Amino acid sequence: MTTLLQTLSNQARNMAARSPWIYRINAGSCNGCDVECATTALIPRYDVERLGCQYCGSPRHADIVLITGPLTARVKDAVMRVYAEVPEPKVTVAVGVCPISGGIFRDGYAVHAPIDQHLPVDVNIPGCPPRPQAIIEGIAQAIAIWRERL
Amino acid sequence: MLESLYTPFAALLFPGGLFALALGLTLKGFDRRLAARLQARVGPPLAQPIYDLVKLARKRTMVPDVACEPVFLGAPLIGAVSMALAAALVPIPGFYTPDPVLGDLLVLLYLLTVPAIVLMIAGSASGSPFGAIGFSREMAMMLAYEGPLVLVVAAVAMRTGMGMGGLISFSLTDIVAYQQSHGAFLFDPVMWPALLAFLAFYPANLGIVPFDIPEAETEVLEGPLLEYSGPALGLFKIMSALKAVVVLGLGVALFYPIAPEGAAGLLVQIAKLVLLMLIGVTVVRVSCGRMRIDQAFRFFLKWPLALSVISLAFVALV
Repeated sequence: MTTLLQTLSNQARNMAARSPWIYRINAGSCNGCDVECATTALIPRYDVERLGCQYCGSPRHADIVLITGPLTARVKDAVMRVYAEVPEPKVTVAVGVCPISGGIFRDGYAVHAPIDQHLPVDVNIPGCPPRPQAIIEGIAQAIAIWRERL
Repeated sequence: MLESLYTPFAALLFPGGLFALALGLTLKGFDRRLAARLQARVGPPLAQPIYDLVKLARKRTMVPDVACEPVFLGAPLIGAVSMALAAALVPIPGFYTPDPVLGDLLVLLYLLTVPAIVLMIAGSASGSPFGAIGFSREMAMMLAYEGPLVLVVAAVAMRTGMGMGGLISFSLTDIVAYQQSHGAFLFDPVMWPALLAFLAFYPANLGIVPFDIPEAETEVLEGPLLEYSGPALGLFKIMSALKAVVVLGLGVALFYPIAPEGAAGLLVQIAKLVLLMLIGVTVVRVSCGRMRIDQAFRFFLKWPLALSVISLAFVALV
């Protein structure tokens, strides 16, 4: 009986892991990484929907959060608030070099990078901007982490 | 033929409830897959809507501080349950006849307005400004498409009633039986304007492009659904899957209920629903852009309304 329940629960987790919904937060990015994310999402060549991914407009629907930008002072509170609205279990992916180290903005007076001082980051995708293939690889790693948390 | 009365079995398992849910999710899967193929993509697996539901069941439901909690959480439940009931009222020609008293077009029409009302309530109870915008747009859409829908249904009911010697018959059983003996309304030129008006009603009621204005992701971030997460959002997904089965099944019953008796009737019904979903929903959705609310409102009060009035006049005069 318990093994049956365990099998069922495993099965359900495997099914659930095939439906990662993605939400993008722009933390003061120059928009380069956002364009790459949009390319990854929108053009037929990279079709992320075949992995079950869906870009959603609301943080409350999201499972995987993509953060771009060096977290400027102006958007910091808004980013923290939006991040808190994503329901558990969630995975955070830092896209581009800015959230990882600050990139070319690292010495700026209004920049709070690196972002992992403020949020738990699970996957880093370096690049300025990263290629769509790298973003898909990062999302695939994020799905693997998320599967363990489900 | 199943001589099922309106029992809990009909609402919970077949043809409402679980069966309709499985069918509706499969229809959504076909829809997403064909849409991807038409855009030269690979597309998600056929079972993707089921994966989404399982995922949502494992997430946490968050209620905003400003929301009215009982209404916020009750609205999706009422919507899903009402659609499960409605699915039990839709006949499957040759296989299932709903209860003669409750299997009535007027009951179905009332039940079909519940999802729109539930979305309005959900949008306003969530306390989000986007929800409020979604609320007002949903209400405008409903005012626009309900009129033509009622006239289309009246045209079909009058055609049946006059054919059977009376004036008007709102019984779904009569409508199906009449068409099975006298030929489907699909091939009846008098009914063609009504059929066109009904096809315009599909995308509006199912909330898809070009009429997905209340839930537009890129404008109002899914409007009423913005604040929903986890199982509560899953209930809305269940509601929309069931609604697809009800609305498509209603179209089959109104215009082409020709089917063999017995189990073959069930298979034919499923094939018809898939075909209708692909032609009436998917192809429309990938080939249009979203209208503005005023454009959609004007469109419905012009073309579908005119077509349904013409059809009603034809039926009354011919």
